[in-house]
Amino acid sequence: MKVSPDYYDEIFEFQGEWDMPSACGLKIRTVDGRTYVIVTELYQDNPGTSVTYAGQRLAEQICEAKGLNLGDIVYVECNPDTNSKLSFYDEEYFVVDFGSDPQHRYRQMDRDEIMKLLGK
Amino acid sequence: MKPFKLKLIYPKWQKLRGQTTFNLPPHGPVAFAATLPEWVEVSFTDENVEEIDFDEECDGVALSMMLSTQVKRGWEIADEYHKRGKLVSAGGISTMLHAEDMVKHVDSVFLGESEGRMEEVMQDWVNGKLRKFYNYMGNLPPIESVGPCRRDLYKRELYNHKGVQMVDLFHASRGCRFSCYPCAVSYLGGRKFRPRPIDKVVEDMAAIENNRLFIVDNSLAQNKEWEKELFTAIAPLKKKWISHTIEDDPEVLDLAAKAGAWYVYQAVYDTSDYIKERVRRYHDYGIGVEGTILLGLDNQTEDDIKRLIDFLGEIDLDLAEFTVMTPFPHTKGYDDLLRQGRIFDFDWNHYNAGQVVFQPKHMSPERLQELYDYAWKSFYADESQEQKMFRLFCNVALREMNEGTYRPRDRRLANKSFGKDVVRNIKTTKS
Repeated sequence: MKVSPDYYDEIFEFQGEWDMPSACGLKIRTVDGRTYVIVTELYQDNPGTSVTYAGQRLAEQICEAKGLNLGDIVYVECNPDTNSKLSFYDEEYFVVDFGSDPQHRYRQMDRDEIMKLLGK
Repeated sequence: MKPFKLKLIYPKWQKLRGQTTFNLPPHGPVAFAATLPEWVEVSFTDENVEEIDFDEECDGVALSMMLSTQVKRGWEIADEYHKRGKLVSAGGISTMLHAEDMVKHVDSVFLGESEGRMEEVMQDWVNGKLRKFYNYMGNLPPIESVGPCRRDLYKRELYNHKGVQMVDLFHASRGCRFSCYPCAVSYLGGRKFRPRPIDKVVEDMAAIENNRLFIVDNSLAQNKEWEKELFTAIAPLKKKWISHTIEDDPEVLDLAAKAGAWYVYQAVYDTSDYIKERVRRYHDYGIGVEGTILLGLDNQTEDDIKRLIDFLGEIDLDLAEFTVMTPFPHTKGYDDLLRQGRIFDFDWNHYNAGQVVFQPKHMSPERLQELYDYAWKSFYADESQEQKMFRLFCNVALREMNEGTYRPRDRRLANKSFGKDVVRNIKTTKS
């Protein structure tokens, strides 16, 4: 399941759960004055923890590396289309609210939001 | 050096209701035991077939766990040993999947594969410096370092049903290049296929005192050339074996059959002609098929599931195993369902693949549970699971007889099943 490079501008290497070397796709976009950090799961090219499982730990590492403030960004997880026969591998984007709840809150973005975010 | 007495335990779990229970000799504990330094003396208890003697003398305790349903029992065992002042370490697949929880209950958690690591861990233990974590998740050992398991630790008579020895589990490779929706193997063993050197596999396999094996590798169909080489090399051993998927290629299937392929687990995920033909091709080469059918995926409606169950009757499966989608941590299934807020049960004892712990997309959890029960009943309505298994057993016994490798069942154990007396329900009629 190879993920198309169209999904990211760079590969971001991070320390996953138990410091496992891990990698995700990363795009950072500014839309309407807000900074969107978009992380994409790379499946076979991610040797470690998934972006969802890494959650806030990954967001913090990106913010530190890119000089961003976690409270100021909109954090988006992308589930890329891998042309799988299984329909639930279709492309999806979720805005993640880390909040204070140990269970993060996810909101699936609709098509218009995604188009605007990606400038398409 | 004074020997260190290590009590190695494989915790029990609640078996799925309504299914035939077979206890296979577990692979993880004996693979782990093989990596311990020589000065560590191991006493092994598989709690699924015998009671733990908590008062047996030991210097420390190691829990080896494969299933999520073993995790909570592992914590109870750790509590018992803590009362006796013993330190407890945990490792294995479900320790890695549930490490955040595990660390609250044991003294040391080992993450990763143990080859080449245990001298350090055990030295720390002996010196009173056992660490809370040993993390080798991102640092897998060379596959060449995987050696023969400590099968001498098995109490063989406990893995015997009415005189018939259960299969031995065997690994020819680790890791997986696929990232299948419900599976965590690529997280655990690496996202690359790591085949063992063929000569090591042959040497290891030849030394097993059992002619029937289960090659438990996630999928053998990951490197066709290695697969062909493997089957060619093990054919002279005349073992008979079960495995997961084999490459759908006439040459590979032919070599597999000649190498002793007994039956394979094949995922049946739709009602296509491809699946029908796939099963037929295995049968053409004399290889049996146990269909593995995962229920509750997002692309399945109630009607789809019923059609799938009906379809099984058309494709001549030898056995079928039904499971419900279960979001094990570190799988894509877990990530997706977590994001969508659809996991409602985080009790790991319920993660047995027979109990619905999430909200299915097209039906209620209760309805999916009913369909799961219906699937088992429907498939085995005319011939029970035990009867179908017996037929497969007869097939392999006949092949062994033809090849002169058949070992008659052990008559001394004819009235025992996994160490317990067989209860026979003999009906008598009054005259």
